[in-house]
Amino acid sequence: MTKYLLKRIFYMILTLFLVATITFFLMKFMPGSPYANEEKLTPQQIHIMNEQYGLNKPLIVQYLLYLGGMLHGDFGTSFQYSNQPVSSLIAARLGASVQLGLQALIVGVILGVIIGSIAAMKQGTWVDSTATVIAIIGKSVPNFVLAVLLQYYIGLKLGWFSIAGWGEFSQTILPTIALSVGPLAETARFIRTSMVDTLSSDYIELGRAKGLSRMEVIRKHAMRNSFIPLVTLIGPYAVALMTGSMVIENIFNIPGIGEQFVKSILTNDYPTIMGVTMVYCIGLVVILLITDIIYGLIDPRIRLAGGEQ
Amino acid sequence: MKLKKVFSLGAVALVSASVLAACSSGKSNSSSSASKQVINWEESAEIPTMDLSKATDVTSFNQLGNVEEGLYRLGEHDKVENALATSTKVSKDGKTWTFTLRKSKWSDGTPLTAKDFVYSWQRTVNPKTASEYSYLFEGIHNATEISAGKAPVSSLGIKAEGDYKLVVTLDKRLPYFKLLMGFPLFFPQQQKAVEKYGSKYGTASKYMVYNGPFVQKGWTGSNLSWKLVKNNNYWDKSAVKLKAINYTVQKTPSTAYNLYQSNKLDAVVLDSQQTKNLKSHAGFTLRDTAATFYLQFNERNKAFKNADLRRAISMSINRKALGNALGGSNTPATSLTAKGVVNHDGQDWADVVGDKEFNQYNPSEAKKYYKKALKELGLKSLSFSILSDDTDSGQKTTETLQSQLEENLSGLKVSVANVPFKTRLSRSTNGNFDIVVSGWSADFADPISFVDLFTSKNANNNGKWANAKYDQLIADSKSTGDDAKRWSDLKEAEQILLKDQGISPLYYKTEAWLVRPSIKGIIYNGAGLNYNFKSAYVAK
Repeated sequence: MTKYLLKRIFYMILTLFLVATITFFLMKFMPGSPYANEEKLTPQQIHIMNEQYGLNKPLIVQYLLYLGGMLHGDFGTSFQYSNQPVSSLIAARLGASVQLGLQALIVGVILGVIIGSIAAMKQGTWVDSTATVIAIIGKSVPNFVLAVLLQYYIGLKLGWFSIAGWGEFSQTILPTIALSVGPLAETARFIRTSMVDTLSSDYIELGRAKGLSRMEVIRKHAMRNSFIPLVTLIGPYAVALMTGSMVIENIFNIPGIGEQFVKSILTNDYPTIMGVTMVYCIGLVVILLITDIIYGLIDPRIRLAGGEQ
Repeated sequence: MKLKKVFSLGAVALVSASVLAACSSGKSNSSSSASKQVINWEESAEIPTMDLSKATDVTSFNQLGNVEEGLYRLGEHDKVENALATSTKVSKDGKTWTFTLRKSKWSDGTPLTAKDFVYSWQRTVNPKTASEYSYLFEGIHNATEISAGKAPVSSLGIKAEGDYKLVVTLDKRLPYFKLLMGFPLFFPQQQKAVEKYGSKYGTASKYMVYNGPFVQKGWTGSNLSWKLVKNNNYWDKSAVKLKAINYTVQKTPSTAYNLYQSNKLDAVVLDSQQTKNLKSHAGFTLRDTAATFYLQFNERNKAFKNADLRRAISMSINRKALGNALGGSNTPATSLTAKGVVNHDGQDWADVVGDKEFNQYNPSEAKKYYKKALKELGLKSLSFSILSDDTDSGQKTTETLQSQLEENLSGLKVSVANVPFKTRLSRSTNGNFDIVVSGWSADFADPISFVDLFTSKNANNNGKWANAKYDQLIADSKSTGDDAKRWSDLKEAEQILLKDQGISPLYYKTEAWLVRPSIKGIIYNGAGLNYNFKSAYVAK
């Protein structure tokens, strides 16, 4: 187990290094400068600015300087927000995205599991069809369409929740619903398929033959086994949700990281692009590791060390 | 990612349009009651900085213009009004300006003196500060040399004589110098504060010191809401009626309009669909943004060196239809200088210089010029590409131009390229285009802010259009001491540019707003500082 972990951590660091390197060089290929007023600056003025920011140094030197800074936890300062360290910019913005993402994930997965399980148990009935329709709608209607409709009808017309803003829990409700529809649909479809599969397995038949009640078989055996594949699904979904959705953040005026990331790319804000990319990447590799560990714990058939025969 | 974004925003617009269509006209029960004197305003983006030497964007300048004060404050139609300056003396050659300052205080209670101006200006032109706007100091003695690192900062043409007298030396006459003094870039900064806060200066409300009508509270660096509160240390505080302005950043027009309807916001920018639907709604306001969008023809390409071809293209464009495609509030352009920016002798300068011959939709004339041009060039047919941004309006512009040109000029093949903003800029600078849709917004309300661009050596003249007479007229307008001659030079120059279609103006960018009708006294100017809330109030 320890050996496995060490190996995994080594690969994680390697992955991060590769991502940092590739992103750095790709980013430098983007045309233009990071200056907001670039349109009005002459090439000479841009040259003077580049000197101030060290952007006229050879690319490889800039890269090494960047790596050196990053190892000391220094992501540099943003170009969009003059003088603000990228680390504090991310810190200020990531919280809202993580909170919203987690809420959406929890709501989506719980409802998804319920809907999926019911559909599987009532396979072939109208309940099943309704659940399938809900899942298809959830999968195909983009969340921002739902967001606009929720905001107009529930926020403005009914006035139940805030239209937009951030700070109070009630303001998170509408964006959470909008964001949770994706994971809800995905989970419901997944659970249904997986459970239908499990329910027709021999050991379920055996359990029933032994005289266990239907509910008991489902609760003790079918559910547990159907949930295992869900872990694979939830990991990357969690990262995707917690790193923010630009459109949902914009619709509900949420100070999240999603929009910052897109904006940093559009404005060539190099340090912010690198900073957010690395945060995303760290999030993803850590969650993948956790997923694999959980996998091993809940399903003894999967051996972490693998292949040692 | 970008494509996805454009698609998503488009879809949001679509959905909100259908929602809008279903809604009744909102009843406005003002949230901003007269007794409270508080208004709720929107900004379309976060504040990137409150450091006036580093600011580049509308949001920052709008904040700075209301929390800081300079020599002058611009009133209605860019009228220059004394602010910290009580009197101004100009030498005969127009190169030495002496300002007498009033006694005033910073928000921390310390007195504001002429030294604060000297410090601020020196800080901005210092190459170490890396100000993106320091080029506006060009013409002030030694400014350009200092920015290029070729002269010491102390040699800048600004001196404090005692605490309340400021002397500015110019290298040349700057007819728009007074307008510049109303722009936040030229406002004072307190050395003590800049040094105390160091790299944090201007990165949050608390790392700032103010001297304007309001002070800022609650901005923490990149958050989406903050407020301006009346400054009790302001020299003219009795003229300030608003107690507070609550700001929120609104990035989705449908959200902003929902908030307006529920009285959480008093002013919102409208998108194209909302503009169409709300035109007759109370509070509908059009704001000229001092920006013109135009075509640049790349004269490195032999075909575009031909003026008749440029004219043919221009006359094939139905600018009214283009405006409609873009959402209705933009005005068809006949000049480079934007409408609503310069008012000279009671007339809008855009109307004075506007070209009615080649900047009008005239398909039959266009065909004649096209035939003539092809003959001159010895070509049978022509094909070229139009470059523009990948934004919604950029795409609508290229689509419309493509279909109009191909329809009116037979045998013409037009392709389009929509690229991200930064890519468009770099391709324009490198001359990697046939025709590019460019935009320019004035930094100050003078035609030179526009016409300077198309002198043959200017870096923003991406198409490399060159005309010796034009260059001469612009140079003359800068050196002459005769005001009437200056205006006639500027007029003649712009008319040459338009007649030759060195560029082809498309539209003046206009912003549609919905502003709560009970709010009065807001001063809006398209160029430079947009919003001045000093005299704004909520009527009963």
